[in-house]
Amino acid sequence: MNGTLHHVSIIVPDEDRVHELAGLFGLELGRRQYVEEYEADCIFTTGSCGVIEFIIATGGKLAKFNKGMGGLHHIAIAVPDLDQARRELSEKGIPLLETKPVDAGPIQINFVAPAYTRGVIVEYVQPVEAPSTRAASAPPDAEPTRAAATDGSDAGRLSEQDIFRKARSLRKVGSMQAAADLLRDALRRHWLSAEGIEKAGRHIAGYLDDSGTPSLEVLVLGQCTTNWVSTCLTAAAWGGAAALRASDGQYDNVIQELMAAASSGRRYDLVVLLPWHQRLLGAAPGLGQVRIDEEVAFWQQAWQIVTAQMSARLVQVGYDWVSPGPLGHHLAGKAEGPVQLVRQVNDRLRAALPPSAYFVDLEQASGIMGRERFYDARRYHWTKQPFSEAGAACLADHIWSGIRSTTTGPKKVLVLDLDNTLWGGVVGETGPLGVEVGDTAAGEAFRAFQLHVKELASRGCLLAVSSKNNPEDAREPFEKNPALALALGDFAAFEASWEPKSVAIQRMAKTLQLGLDSFVFFDDNPAEREHVRQMLPDVAVVEVPEEPAHYVRALEAGQWFEAVSITEEDRARTEQYRAEAQRRDAQNSFASMEDYLASLDMVGDVRDVDDADLARVVQLLGKTNQFNLTTRRHGLDTVRDMLAQPRSIGLTVRITDRFADYGLVAVLLGVEEVGASVPTLHVDTWLMSCRVIARTVEEFCLNSLVAAAAAKGYRRVIGHYVPTRKNALVADLYDRLGFQRVASDADAGTTYAMDISEPAPSKTFVARRA
Amino acid sequence: MNRDDVQDKLLAVFRDVFEDDELQISPQTTADDVEGWDSLMHVSLMINVERAFGVKFSSTQVASLKNVNELIDLVVSRLAIKGAEGRA
Repeated sequence: MNGTLHHVSIIVPDEDRVHELAGLFGLELGRRQYVEEYEADCIFTTGSCGVIEFIIATGGKLAKFNKGMGGLHHIAIAVPDLDQARRELSEKGIPLLETKPVDAGPIQINFVAPAYTRGVIVEYVQPVEAPSTRAASAPPDAEPTRAAATDGSDAGRLSEQDIFRKARSLRKVGSMQAAADLLRDALRRHWLSAEGIEKAGRHIAGYLDDSGTPSLEVLVLGQCTTNWVSTCLTAAAWGGAAALRASDGQYDNVIQELMAAASSGRRYDLVVLLPWHQRLLGAAPGLGQVRIDEEVAFWQQAWQIVTAQMSARLVQVGYDWVSPGPLGHHLAGKAEGPVQLVRQVNDRLRAALPPSAYFVDLEQASGIMGRERFYDARRYHWTKQPFSEAGAACLADHIWSGIRSTTTGPKKVLVLDLDNTLWGGVVGETGPLGVEVGDTAAGEAFRAFQLHVKELASRGCLLAVSSKNNPEDAREPFEKNPALALALGDFAAFEASWEPKSVAIQRMAKTLQLGLDSFVFFDDNPAEREHVRQMLPDVAVVEVPEEPAHYVRALEAGQWFEAVSITEEDRARTEQYRAEAQRRDAQNSFASMEDYLASLDMVGDVRDVDDADLARVVQLLGKTNQFNLTTRRHGLDTVRDMLAQPRSIGLTVRITDRFADYGLVAVLLGVEEVGASVPTLHVDTWLMSCRVIARTVEEFCLNSLVAAAAAKGYRRVIGHYVPTRKNALVADLYDRLGFQRVASDADAGTTYAMDISEPAPSKTFVARRA
Repeated sequence: MNRDDVQDKLLAVFRDVFEDDELQISPQTTADDVEGWDSLMHVSLMINVERAFGVKFSSTQVASLKNVNELIDLVVSRLAIKGAEGRA
């Protein structure tokens, strides 16, 4: 029998082990296959060392191998014809285990019954030329895979068919969470086509319904059909590690659906409104302006219901044109041409939009993908959905990034590699003047990327470096090479060492006091990207293409930094973090904490919340997670109503110290407790910036609140701590500040009370500005 | 491709689209027989069938289908046209 050794197989307990062993022996991981019969993920190595198959057995017979410890499992011999081999073996009295060959993708396999090989498990494989005949084969005009793998991290990548097959088999055995996690991973790595994204969205919607996972409730209403967009929205959110349930309303029934939703008592967190241009562009000649007025009035009516009656956040999508129409390109952009009408109505909408709403610019979205790909006339005529599958998925991405920017806010830190990311070449080899920035074609690309990144920093994103380099080598180009657009001072953190990047990034997160879920990682090296993906799943890893000229677009495509507005504080952020670093250095040089705190010369400015502050207060209510005692995400109108009552108290606290002005750092909102025996103030909200914790600003805030309460005749203050995943930081704050526990419940949290009839201010090193 | 082959391949497409590996179809199967087969899923299904066989349907053809048997007829006829065009 003409056989050759095809591969050696090792059973491992989990995926980490595969990467560990591969890393240890310098093995390159290649094709990945899910074999349903054996409930196993199989990863084959590629490269010149010969093929090793790592088997991650999640269940079935293979998981029990070697009492579950795994190990060297079998050798595989390749033969040209498996059936013939089977016949020859059976003539020798040696049976194969399976009655017919098992399909394992590009190979068909069967095992020799182990009893006949005295404990050595031998597999026979027959390489198959044609693609697997199990399911519908890919046709010639299939839509290209979205974000077709350009980043080289295809190692271990499952095909889309296998992903859904595996998800189904996980669901069949009741592993719903595992199936949902598998889809999340595929989504965040952009491994699914547009069609796959829609399918994943349906899966996840079912999973969220069945599992009762707390989700963001979103109502999607449009003047066109919205069902595909809303399904893709669920998928987009899931890929971004968020649970979002989207409901659709009836086609082109926006106001009625809103009114029904408002009076239904069902709570929606957010409403997405999606116009379509059938009325705008259907106007008789001369009536274009009238039609624009009507459309704007229509949406304003809708906004009224959303913000005032439903107290929900708003994402408004704009209008778009699909083609210039009979007027042709030149005239379409003039006077009452369709392109001009669309642009005018969008300008009007943007100007009239409620302050904290997010506007999805559909012209931009479709322009970037290309209208020919974004829209599908056939689908529009069949179903009244104008978008193609790719367009619907792309629109969903834009809507999701808008939702993200109005809930958790834009990402805060961009971690960059140096060699072949910020410049061409490896500085340790070329020296500081030998790296490519400007001058050459590649150098131009790197310089453009540096400029883009610098611009990001100037609008509030923090830049950080994580480089595998000697620290001196890493810094030198910034100090000596005039062609660089970035300077060392542009970075809030600079880690150059030989430690794993996950360690460096975690250290950065601690220093900057920011959660890993606000980090974006950009590195040209696929191995580093995979490492960070595995070790720090909260960090957003950019799919970096091979060509540096495409770096800017790759970073933009993630829409990580979408924001509704940019404030002065945003612009000064890098400077603030530098001051923070200086402050920490100063801290280390003081003998006692008290001496140090006194030396800071902290001054606190306490003010009642006024109209100018209202927007910022609401923004903080939406974004602050850690130092937030009750995490109530009130909208603008709710806060305004709360403070309109004469017995309410709303305070903002601003802190400056010797090193920096920290701006608005704390918000306290209190309302009168109705029906209390003694005049009692109930603290609805107390949030504070983490930048100023543990410096007695907490005590200062409390003193200010108590003083304001006493001035209004209150004799008692009630506070609550409502536990969330992120605010364990303040679990014992009220205890530390001298409140009495009144009631405690695992889910609802703890209620505290303090008698304020006798003044007893807490000690603080913050002086009140007169 | 004969009718049986078309039906087999359609079964694979149906199972994929409706995400049900146990799904069975027969020529008599209608939309009422399959859970989730509403008007929007019908469009998705048709687009997937087009992709799987490399053919295109017209809107009228798609809207008028009453059962799987008619779908098989439609696919067979489109494949024949495609084959004829290839030979022409």
